Amino acid sequence: MTAHVLIVEDSALVVGALRLLLVESGFRVSDAGTVSAAVDAIRREHPDLVLLDLGLRDGDGLRVLADVRGAGETLPVTVAVTGDDEPDTRERCLRAGCRDVLVKPIRAMELPAQITGWLAERTHGARARDTDSATDAG
Amino acid sequence: MRTPEGGRTALRACAYALPSVPQITNRPDGAASRAYCRPAGPNAKISAMDAQVVDLEQRIAELEEANLDAARTIAELRNQDALKTQFLANISHDLRTPLTAMITHAEILRDGILGPLTDRQHESVEGIIGGGRQLLAMVGEILTYARGAAGQLACVRSEFTVQEVIDQVRALSEPLIARRTHEWDFRIEQELPVLYADREKIAHVLANLLGNAMDFTPPGGRIWVHVGMSEDERGRPALRIEVGDTGIGIAREHHELIFREFAQVDASASRRHHGTGLGLAIARKFVELHDGRLWVESEPGRGSRFFFTIPLRARRDA
Repeated sequence: MTAHVLIVEDSALVVGALRLLLVESGFRVSDAGTVSAAVDAIRREHPDLVLLDLGLRDGDGLRVLADVRGAGETLPVTVAVTGDDEPDTRERCLRAGCRDVLVKPIRAMELPAQITGWLAERTHGARARDTDSATDAG
Repeated sequence: MRTPEGGRTALRACAYALPSVPQITNRPDGAASRAYCRPAGPNAKISAMDAQVVDLEQRIAELEEANLDAARTIAELRNQDALKTQFLANISHDLRTPLTAMITHAEILRDGILGPLTDRQHESVEGIIGGGRQLLAMVGEILTYARGAAGQLACVRSEFTVQEVIDQVRALSEPLIARRTHEWDFRIEQELPVLYADREKIAHVLANLLGNAMDFTPPGGRIWVHVGMSEDERGRPALRIEVGDTGIGIAREHHELIFREFAQVDASASRRHHGTGLGLAIARKFVELHDGRLWVESEPGRGSRFFFTIPLRARRDA
């Protein structure tokens, strides 16, 4: 089954580049430009993976994680995408529950393989936790 | 502390220091108070002094006004400077977003994700990526400078070995050094302790010094990185890194200038170097955040040796 990636990003230019890259690499792609639109999209579409920009118009991108958790939903694998390579940004993202942090510009050649890797990890993780509810098989 | 009011009172005390004056009143209306205190009968000396006091009081008032004006101007300039710094931080952040999108688009093309390219197309797309990355690095420097000016730079410490930083920087620089036909040498001179420092900032400083060495050393020249231990001025053990080259060198009168923000020693060199003039200023700031020092020893035509020290700090001191 085609994995579904949600791009949370408020720059149409960046969305365009990532969408082109991921669609060409065989992923299903949707996007959201604000914290609230991202929370809605995650609850409605249950994407397999979220690429999350940190600086959104209506607030800090990491709020998406807190809001989804607050609504009692399971978090998809989330990878932060930031233009800021300060180490404290990285720590902050990992503490908030991101699987990894990518610094823009995204390396086009590497991203599709990285996404496949994160998704494979998640599937293995889900199998290992066989007593958990099997809601996030994908 | 001296106050203008105190000065004025003292002046009056001098002018009326006569036994017949019972007291010096300190009313705002100086003339009235003097008339009240003055002994009866004309006294030319006192009149002359009185005129001087009036004159001095007027000059004090003028100076006070000028002081207030200067204070207002300083406050206004500080305010404008802070606004400009904030603008610089905002604009450089916003400049990066479209730039990173352009670079990703170009990489999609280069990596053949939309289909194969001819060699000449490939070369052209590489040009877009190279230019884009250079521009991005410059915008990043401006952003770092603006953050430093706004006091927003912090030292984010973790434990790591020098070898890890060397490997990180070397992986980035080695292809460049090789391409430009420099001879090079990375050497760790002794067993070194684990550092507790800001790894990214130290890697940044090292990469910056290596970048300069490459830019200012003609093909065939030698570039080296030697890492060892030394002591800081208080005798504490410090890591010492030397980045040296056999390049064009730097005149003694420019040894400090090159660490100043926006400084470019030589316009023709800076055109080749494509710099913002912030690289070494930022490097020094990063070293100073660690209580270390960054300096250069160099002579024109005889290469340059840049040194920086990072005093060792144990994790438990944090």
